[in-house]
Amino acid sequence: MNLDRDFDVVGALKSVYSLVIILVLWEVVTQMGMIHYYFLPPLSDVLARFFELLANGELLENAYLTLKRAVVGLAIATVLGVVVGVLCARNAAVEWFFDPIIKIGYPVPIIALVPVFMLWFGINDTSKIIMVAVGTFWPIAVNARDSTRQVDKNLVWAAKMMGTSDWRLLRRVVLPAASPGIMTGLQIALPLSLIITFVFEMVAGGGGLGALEIEGVRSFQSTLTYAAIIAIMIVGLVLDRLLRVARARLLRWT
Amino acid sequence: MSNVNAGTATALPSGVRSAARFVFDWIPLAIVTLLWEFASGTAVPAEVLPAPSVVAGEIRELLVTGEVFSHLFISLFRISVGLGLSIAAGVLLGIGMARLDPVENFFEVLLALTYPIPKTALVPLAILWLGVGTRTAILIVFLACLLPIVMNAYNAASDVDQNLVWSAKMMGTEGRRLFWKVIIPATIPEILTGVRQAIPIAFIALVSAELIASNQGIGYLILTAGQVGNYPTMFANIVIISAVAYFAVRGFEIGRERGLVWT
Amino acid sequence: MDGNVTISNLEKVYDDGSERTTAVEDLTFDIDAGEFVSVVGPSGCGKSTLLYLLAGFLDETSGTIEVDGTPIDGPGTDRGVVFQDYALFPWRTVMENVTYGLEEQDMGKEERRSTAQQYIDMMDLSGFEDNYPKELSGGMKQRVGLARTLAYGPKILLMDEPFGALDQPLREDLQDQLLDIWGDLDKTVVFVTHDVEEAVYLSDSVMVMTRHPGTKKTVTDVDIDRSKSRADIITSDEFTETKNEVWRSLREETQSGVQP
Repeated sequence: MNLDRDFDVVGALKSVYSLVIILVLWEVVTQMGMIHYYFLPPLSDVLARFFELLANGELLENAYLTLKRAVVGLAIATVLGVVVGVLCARNAAVEWFFDPIIKIGYPVPIIALVPVFMLWFGINDTSKIIMVAVGTFWPIAVNARDSTRQVDKNLVWAAKMMGTSDWRLLRRVVLPAASPGIMTGLQIALPLSLIITFVFEMVAGGGGLGALEIEGVRSFQSTLTYAAIIAIMIVGLVLDRLLRVARARLLRWT
Repeated sequence: MSNVNAGTATALPSGVRSAARFVFDWIPLAIVTLLWEFASGTAVPAEVLPAPSVVAGEIRELLVTGEVFSHLFISLFRISVGLGLSIAAGVLLGIGMARLDPVENFFEVLLALTYPIPKTALVPLAILWLGVGTRTAILIVFLACLLPIVMNAYNAASDVDQNLVWSAKMMGTEGRRLFWKVIIPATIPEILTGVRQAIPIAFIALVSAELIASNQGIGYLILTAGQVGNYPTMFANIVIISAVAYFAVRGFEIGRERGLVWT
Repeated sequence: MDGNVTISNLEKVYDDGSERTTAVEDLTFDIDAGEFVSVVGPSGCGKSTLLYLLAGFLDETSGTIEVDGTPIDGPGTDRGVVFQDYALFPWRTVMENVTYGLEEQDMGKEERRSTAQQYIDMMDLSGFEDNYPKELSGGMKQRVGLARTLAYGPKILLMDEPFGALDQPLREDLQDQLLDIWGDLDKTVVFVTHDVEEAVYLSDSVMVMTRHPGTKKTVTDVDIDRSKSRADIITSDEFTETKNEVWRSLREETQSGVQP
């Protein structure tokens, strides 16, 4: 099993049968009425609902809301996290100030702060984006800090020897050398950004795929919940793939 | 003898030095806490940002009256059962997939399809099936922790040193005994790494489930305290669950170091 | 010609707050421009410290290091370091590694590439210009390391056990290649190694350092006919005699450490 590898047709055929069995079983069992419609509607009904929502634009609209919150928040966290993380590793004063804060902040189950952000910033988009930024800041900063600390000293010395000035070192040597670790931090932060967005949407509403799911539960339309989960699966897969492709492209040398 | 004397002579200054170092290291946190203390009620309204002293008093209150404990125990019960189940299932599944091709073929595509779904997005589905409460929270914790444990167990079991297996077979260990006496012990360090990764995930899953679908537990307390405007209680419970999460990780790490003396 | 190194009363003390360790003590030594000097010594004798002091990575505690009469001030392009672990930039191709130093001198792109190509060809790396370091063997990586250092034109090469991680046949290839280049380019070379044969084979003179703290113990001049082949040199009496002399000097140091 290798979740990182590229799509492989033979391997897919060898193992995809389990998915087919489950999907067929799902359809048959539900059509026979062995499971209450509310718990598990037939696959065909779920797919029909999914395409209906896709056609009338409801899915796209909510997916856009979710993506906007997650991606903008993640982008802010990336900028702040990399700056703080790299400075922590390169500057003793910054390290002194931020290290204890990171020690205390990193283990906080960040999702517990959703009610706090509702109190501070309300339930609008801005509040969700700030929450995502605050929540994903920690893994990005910690990974940026640790990978900057681990930059091979000889690389820095080799560059200095060849005439690279101190402030150019950061861009010429330190950042490129630390970039695989920074990318890893981003890959950890990506699912976290989605988790925070979904939970915030479920708790506070305001549209988005998480709110759509919960709406299905509250209005007893389980097809809506299942259709939203399919959309979430696709969003998750696409974002994950995008980051992997970006990594493979940008870090071809690793 | 002179060595012993030299040792005790330097012990005190180094103790003092490390104590000073400790104080120095934590000054930034003291600054932030003090700023927070002074900002509360002046720069920002006290209800929006209760002062640390108020929150500390509230934590004391919650602990002394014991009213937090029933919720804390329910949260701990949910996370323990969910994590425990995912360790049991994850280890079996991971090792099974690594050693037996049919198991791998069956589960691979399912894991590949479900792993990019943030498991907390499945809370509504869990509500459909199991209603609001403990069973939903356990299911979400279980699902969220499963993948890191499966992946670590799988990788470890795939990489078991072939020489270990061969030498065990030479000595007559076969089949199920080989599994229990060689494969499992050889994979334990990496399984524990998977569990270590799963603990923070478990807390996120737990709190998410309790925020969305529960009438009990610390997550529920945080949400309701916020909704009724009892902000010191909200912050106090956040501190409590964070402390529990922190000590769960530290406790696990210390336990692992003690237990795995041979690595 | 430039590239004279003058080391006077050099001392280096490491102080980590609780413990002071003297790595190099009272070292005085002159290296003439164009000379190839090897430094050998027991492990932990401060020979790498000496090299890092020459490079300017470390600051001396007292004493001076002068290059052509000017005290050194940190790392500088008049010197070039070849590292044991190559220290290639993994995100740069072979070509981009070799042009790095030239970029820092604000050389134009075309000129950079043609200069770099010259050294890439010299080190037999043609055809690998666009490969990343991870795709190269250890011997090739060190050739890139040499090309990168030579390309920006330092007068003095500082080499820190550069072939220490390579197999014997590869080491010999690279040693001969280094001698060829040195003959052509008129560089001053300071070569740190723990391999006596390597030191004698390559150098004009070999300095043996004392164990702890490190200082100059003996300096042995090497007088061999470099027009001969490796096999003839290695088996010659002059070579064996010089090698034994250095070996005995070094042996005293390694043995002295065994006693309590």
